[in-house]
Amino acid sequence: MSDRFESTVTTTCGYCGVGCRLEAHVTGGQVASITPASDGPANHGHTCLKGRFAHRFARARDRLTEPLVREGGRLRAVSWERALETISTRLGEIRAEHGPNAIAGLASSRATNEDCYVMARLMRAAIGTNNIDNCSRVCHSPTSFALRKSLGLSGATGCFDDIDHAEVAIIIGANPTQGHPVVGARMKQAALRGLKLITIDPRRIELADYGELHLAPRAGTNAAVVLGMAHVLERDGLTDPTFIAERTEGYDTLGELLEHYPPATVHEISGIPATDIEAAAHLYGEARRASIAWGLGVTEHKYGSEVVRLICNVALMTGKVGQAGSALLPLRGQNNVQGSSDMGALPDTYTAYRSVADERVAGAFEAAWGVPLSREPGYKVPEMLDAAVAGELKAMYIFGEDIAQTDPNSAHVVKALESLQFVVCQDIFENETTRYADVVLPASAFLEKQGTFTNAERRIQLVEPAIPPPGQARTDLEIIAAVSRALGHEMGYAGPSEVMDEIAALTPDFAGVSYERLGRRGLQWPVAPDGSDAPILYEERFSLPGGRARFAALPYKEPGDAVDEGFPLILVTGRVLEHYNAGTMTRRTGNLELVDRDWLEIHPDDAGRLWISDGERVSVRSRVGRVELCARVTERIEPGHVFTSFHFPEARTNLLVGSSADVNTSCPEYKVVAVDVRPMSERASTRPALASA
Amino acid sequence: MRLTVDGREVEVEPGSTVLEAVRRAGSAVPTLCYDPRQAPFGACRVCLVGLAGAPAPIAACTTPCREGMSIDTRDPAARRVAATVVELVLSELPQAPAPHTELAEVARSLGVCGTRFAGATHEVEHDERHPYLVLRHELCISCGRCVRACDELQGAFALTATGRGFEANIAAGLGGGFRESTCVSCGACADTCPTGAITEHTLLTLEQEEHP
Repeated sequence: MSDRFESTVTTTCGYCGVGCRLEAHVTGGQVASITPASDGPANHGHTCLKGRFAHRFARARDRLTEPLVREGGRLRAVSWERALETISTRLGEIRAEHGPNAIAGLASSRATNEDCYVMARLMRAAIGTNNIDNCSRVCHSPTSFALRKSLGLSGATGCFDDIDHAEVAIIIGANPTQGHPVVGARMKQAALRGLKLITIDPRRIELADYGELHLAPRAGTNAAVVLGMAHVLERDGLTDPTFIAERTEGYDTLGELLEHYPPATVHEISGIPATDIEAAAHLYGEARRASIAWGLGVTEHKYGSEVVRLICNVALMTGKVGQAGSALLPLRGQNNVQGSSDMGALPDTYTAYRSVADERVAGAFEAAWGVPLSREPGYKVPEMLDAAVAGELKAMYIFGEDIAQTDPNSAHVVKALESLQFVVCQDIFENETTRYADVVLPASAFLEKQGTFTNAERRIQLVEPAIPPPGQARTDLEIIAAVSRALGHEMGYAGPSEVMDEIAALTPDFAGVSYERLGRRGLQWPVAPDGSDAPILYEERFSLPGGRARFAALPYKEPGDAVDEGFPLILVTGRVLEHYNAGTMTRRTGNLELVDRDWLEIHPDDAGRLWISDGERVSVRSRVGRVELCARVTERIEPGHVFTSFHFPEARTNLLVGSSADVNTSCPEYKVVAVDVRPMSERASTRPALASA
Repeated sequence: MRLTVDGREVEVEPGSTVLEAVRRAGSAVPTLCYDPRQAPFGACRVCLVGLAGAPAPIAACTTPCREGMSIDTRDPAARRVAATVVELVLSELPQAPAPHTELAEVARSLGVCGTRFAGATHEVEHDERHPYLVLRHELCISCGRCVRACDELQGAFALTATGRGFEANIAAGLGGGFRESTCVSCGACADTCPTGAITEHTLLTLEQEEHP
């Protein structure tokens, strides 16, 4: 193969959080083909259509290739000097007049660890504020919060390989064959070899067809389902008393709570037959090795972080954590959801989730960066938007994120962007958010830069450039360092590997990380100074005071939105295989030929009752917004629910989502939105007919 | 467990195949229907090797190792049969496989250039309806690797072996092409295909530029 192409580099996929290792083959300055690396630890020589084929966006004609500055209401191409000068002048003025906390920045879970780390440094050291957050806020922040509370560390307790060693796996609130296709394929193959799958989702996901048991709870009732399973595990003696006694705290309080969740009660709340709750608990409890994987169907709820803690309870009471085959696996949505937060692109923590208020940690960063740093936590994303509308926040620097498209309550986001005096966007394409930008900086795609991504297994993997950024576009690290320099704070990195060296020096959990050691297979943090990593966490002790895990006695509470006469259906949103989040990349590839719009999935019973036929255009109205979509009538979705993806900006699905959010982390409740669905046009019929329901 | 390959002793895990032992010993045996990501198949007979005490050459990819086996990868009968198999495979193709393909590499490694068997060749039939994947039926050698990749790696079950004898080929779905099948466009079939019968539009363009 080698002489067929001009060059080939091994890199890590920039789409989902699976972290497939890829070989990018280049000819004539273009990526000619991408094949899976045979030694990829997460993908085992396989990849999906996004990683393999959807790379042509990198040379799309509408790529941003020059810096843009808004003049007279329009974005005009300018030199880098002009763009940097505009940013330093305007941010300098705003800081002088309103203080550093009037400025906020967003890092990106699409970007590398190094990019996110320097973005956090830009805000903290060059601007002087902790107003830095990243898009994991709107997906897995509840997972991070809950895992730290229950177990100690913010990451999966094991690896995808655990799926191959498990006898039973529970998949809750995730659709891996669409959202994490290579893990989905691995789960399906494992199921074909005998792994017993239990799927829990209001949609009958593809893996349900290969599973032992499918539970379809009403959206927003996950807590009750998990509590019900825990009740049965306790009632039927399927717990591991030795593990509970030696390695955990708080089981007694949980036991008292569980008494209130017999399967009959859970049936009333969730709609799941009591016998199915019992069967699921027995399958899981009786297996020697069993794992639980979850996605945004767990986290993007008002009590999402609490459900993750309840999931941890189930694993802890049965001792199914800290050994091969028994893992807790949050399926991270974006390529670097794990890493962007690990890197401290969060308003309250430095690298590895260490508090900004911790004197010793803050002092170490002050010494390294040579500037005083704030001990006050900054704004989370939703707080930034509220502060902008309230006039307290004056400027935002948005890197690699299209908040006007992807954040909930789009009307509120737009209002916030319009309220700001100064907006910088750093991205590879113009998007919904750049409409409100004063400066747009042309950045680089994952195929164009060096760095590292951390996948959903905590595995830090190298990213290598296959092609250079187009035109005058620059790597994100170069851009952020240049902006920092213009603001008077010289970062002084010769390249991304020096950034990682600094991260390793300042972060005990990354102490042994270097590009040389990462090599072809990466390392799973925590990495000891000698370079040994941790595929399985908590084999002997949990990373909490006393080394013990904590049970959480948290009752079921109703979701933030509920159906009523005006809004009788629950809308759930999610991804499809062919597209990726805001679609910025995949809509500029052949994937558009495969899927060219967002569809509204609706059950035949509901469709019949509402006189909606397959393919018909429908109006979807929530309490906060209205959009139009084409209906797809399918039994994949439970009656009473509708589902759509959010990949096409013209559909503006997130106009429908309100402000309800996770109580602990402000992660929006994308998964429970009460809506009313009606056909767009009802033509008068010449024949009398009865509604089918 | 220990065995001998071309006179060299090699130690392997129980359950290993002879092919794995051969590769561990640093010897080379060509393969066509073999892909380490798939279960052993043993269809092509190109990986034949000599086994001391056996009446005829054995297929290395499907034969489990036994203690004390003595393997000869240069066994003349095995090499002769393998070369003839490749010649027969080539005889059905309307054109020589592109130089970068596994089939071309295998032919080179066996010293096969061209074929002695004149006769019917497959008719050129291309399916280019998928945005990424191209199916060139005339280059299919029925090794089954694409079908197994689809089944064993992805689990889409979109590809099927069709026809018998000279008519043997593959079909996506019921023959309506990738887009009318359960295909999820993962490309595992193109990745494993040893002849370029399943390939990508972009690579085809590249190939045509190189060998017009």
